[in-house]
Amino acid sequence: MKFKFTSLFFVLLSFVLILAGCTATTKSQTSSKDDKTLTISLGPDLMTWDIHNHTTTSTEVVHANVFDYLLMRNQDGEIKPHLAKSWKKTNDTTYEFELEQGVKFHNGEELTAEDVKFTFERVAKDKSLRSHSDYSNIKEVKVLDDLKLQIITSEPDPMLLSRISRQASGILPKDYIKENGWDHFKKNPIGSGPLKFVEWKKDNRVVLEPYDEYFGKKVTDWGKVVFKAIPEDSTRVAELLAGNVDIAANIPPSDWDRIKDSKNSEVVNGPSNRTYLLFLRTQEGWPTADLKVREAIDYAINDKALVENLLSGGGTPSLTRVNPGNLGANEELYGKYNYDVEKAKKLLTEAGFKDGLSIQLAGPSGRYLQDRELLQLIAGMLEKVGIKTDMNILKWGPFVELREQGKFKDGYLIALGASFFDAGQSLDYYSSERAKTINGYSNKEIDRLLNKAATSTNEKERIEMYTRVQEIANKEKPILPLFQLDQFYGLSENVKFQPRIDELIYVPDIEKK
Amino acid sequence: MWKYFIRRLLQVPPVIFIITLMIFGLVYIAGDPVLMMLPADATPQEIQQLRHALGFDQPFYIQFGNYIMDLLRGDFGDSYQYGEPALSLVLERLPATLELATASMIVAIIIAIPLGIWSAIKPNTFIDLFATGFSVLGKAIPNFWLGIMLILIFAVNLHILPVSGTGTWWHLVLPSITLGTAMSAEITRLVRSNMLEIMSQDFIRTARSKGLTSFIVIFKHAFRNSLVPVITITFLQAAALVGGSLITEMIFAWPGLGQLIIQAVYEKDLPIIQAAVFVTALMIILINLLTDVLYRILDPRIKFN
Repeated sequence: MKFKFTSLFFVLLSFVLILAGCTATTKSQTSSKDDKTLTISLGPDLMTWDIHNHTTTSTEVVHANVFDYLLMRNQDGEIKPHLAKSWKKTNDTTYEFELEQGVKFHNGEELTAEDVKFTFERVAKDKSLRSHSDYSNIKEVKVLDDLKLQIITSEPDPMLLSRISRQASGILPKDYIKENGWDHFKKNPIGSGPLKFVEWKKDNRVVLEPYDEYFGKKVTDWGKVVFKAIPEDSTRVAELLAGNVDIAANIPPSDWDRIKDSKNSEVVNGPSNRTYLLFLRTQEGWPTADLKVREAIDYAINDKALVENLLSGGGTPSLTRVNPGNLGANEELYGKYNYDVEKAKKLLTEAGFKDGLSIQLAGPSGRYLQDRELLQLIAGMLEKVGIKTDMNILKWGPFVELREQGKFKDGYLIALGASFFDAGQSLDYYSSERAKTINGYSNKEIDRLLNKAATSTNEKERIEMYTRVQEIANKEKPILPLFQLDQFYGLSENVKFQPRIDELIYVPDIEKK
Repeated sequence: MWKYFIRRLLQVPPVIFIITLMIFGLVYIAGDPVLMMLPADATPQEIQQLRHALGFDQPFYIQFGNYIMDLLRGDFGDSYQYGEPALSLVLERLPATLELATASMIVAIIIAIPLGIWSAIKPNTFIDLFATGFSVLGKAIPNFWLGIMLILIFAVNLHILPVSGTGTWWHLVLPSITLGTAMSAEITRLVRSNMLEIMSQDFIRTARSKGLTSFIVIFKHAFRNSLVPVITITFLQAAALVGGSLITEMIFAWPGLGQLIIQAVYEKDLPIIQAAVFVTALMIILINLLTDVLYRILDPRIKFN
């Protein structure tokens, strides 16, 4: 074979020219970003501007900056006045609210009680809306005058305030939607929030800008806010490192070092209201029906080690799913975990599994931070005490189906959030009614407490009842809470941002450094 | 020729009808999308309620009947995920996909044809080895790896190109190189082998003996004659691209069909899947037609029949 170096030279030269022809550009062309632009990437794109017809947190993050809630949670999850400056309970099924005066939608029209009525009655009545079930208890919204209204529920609803300070509670402009129709609204949304809509290029970006006449805390540090859709994790990190994104959400652990090692960005984390749970069957015929086996599994898993190894400490082991900041949290169970290999082995022997046993655990892949890896580590820990674990790791779609149809074997792993910040929502899985189609758990005392608490409007009493439910649940272990999961964000050097427990990114709180 | 066209066009509706039936059946078997639409902690009652509200608890023949009636009126229905007409969601993403497909094809041709010809006229030299090696590599390198590497080098470290998204021509460069490299591999091999075969034929020897310059011999006589299979394979690859390139679109956050379709499949969003398949099938049929026409222009021996 002859090597012709001149030819080689030409080949290489032509390649370089092709590349150079394509790539010759200046730095300024690589980013359309200036100092006053805040660019945020959550991963997925916005689903829709119909706030009642989606259930995704990432979409809510955008909505929360454009629409105002009657009440809003602060950084730590406490409910604070927002559009409603005051409220009171007039009877078991009625709350009365008084709105702030002079709040205007982005088109200049005033926000009144009629808009509140329009918003809540739509979602409460239209059964095909995805958020309907969260609001179906609202019977009527009564307008008393322009700024006063009552929300009347069919049953006493101790969770009402939580209900209306979260997803799908942004107040919509009634007249604007009536005049122009929903199709027009979904393309040109108007709210009363701190940011107003500029454009939405699907699967690409949502552009917002500050609303100068906002009634609350205005956005002054930024001239433009862009939510960029970048579904691929490594690309989102690359955009952050290249300086084109200021806040990148959902950063996987494999990229933390890259970000920390760079000069212009950092990783911040903070608690979320999401907890990893291991559901175990209690129905006759499954080995986990025996409390001792469930306890053995609990003692075999080192929750602390899971958090350290998988999340560099970004999480908190817990024996309950109700985290501090949620109504009814049993703080004695938070921050604790059971781990004792010898005890686990002993419990197994007592349960009659001296030579070990085999179980199958299901879990989703790619849905939650480190979900697949977590199940693998758990299987390893169980192996050490003599429980051979067959893992059934599935994509989210098949996984939810397996769960709903009750086709999983001994148990499954899932990370559930609690958007109401109320034990009434989080502890529902312990009720016989709910558990019937899942792990079959049933405890009369828990049923009684949960039923009573669900309609009790005495907050102190509810807290006591929920605390008690968590105590019983911790003894009987039909569900093993593993740890509260942190959220991880990559930040550029330009911004000051503190993660919120409700996972929102509220732009008025984000400062420019 | 017109007869030929009409015959080809008449084949379109039955093909699309059969595809529609198959997809409806497959998605039906995969289960309804209600579970994907609700949060993970939805109660069985909530699931049942939404299932009923959306009509997913109806028997198969009713769901299918309604679906076909809508389709006949040209209505693909609203996307379950976005609550908007599926066809317009698909059509909105089509330009981005076509833009990327065209750019990738251009990149592929720019790389493949010179390299293929060059290696064919210098067989068994270093250039030939390089070209062969390049096409093996191009085919073997996974798209996601190449894409991420290009981002790291040109966008993150050198800062000369944007990382992802769309907006300017520069945004097109990295994704089209990523896709084009893989495409060029096959074309390079094909150009080379065709050229080699043709270069050894009698008419080339005749052309050379007439005293024509080797430039004319290579490009006018040999290359043109080797084009028919090259065009086939190029357009076949282009047809594969019009459905959107999933991995490349994901990596570069390119707002095309690929991203939309994969999301729709995960969420069992039947209206979008159907609309996307319909549009893609039409495009592929059109591209195939175009290929046939090109053939006949390049090689008049092929007749329209």
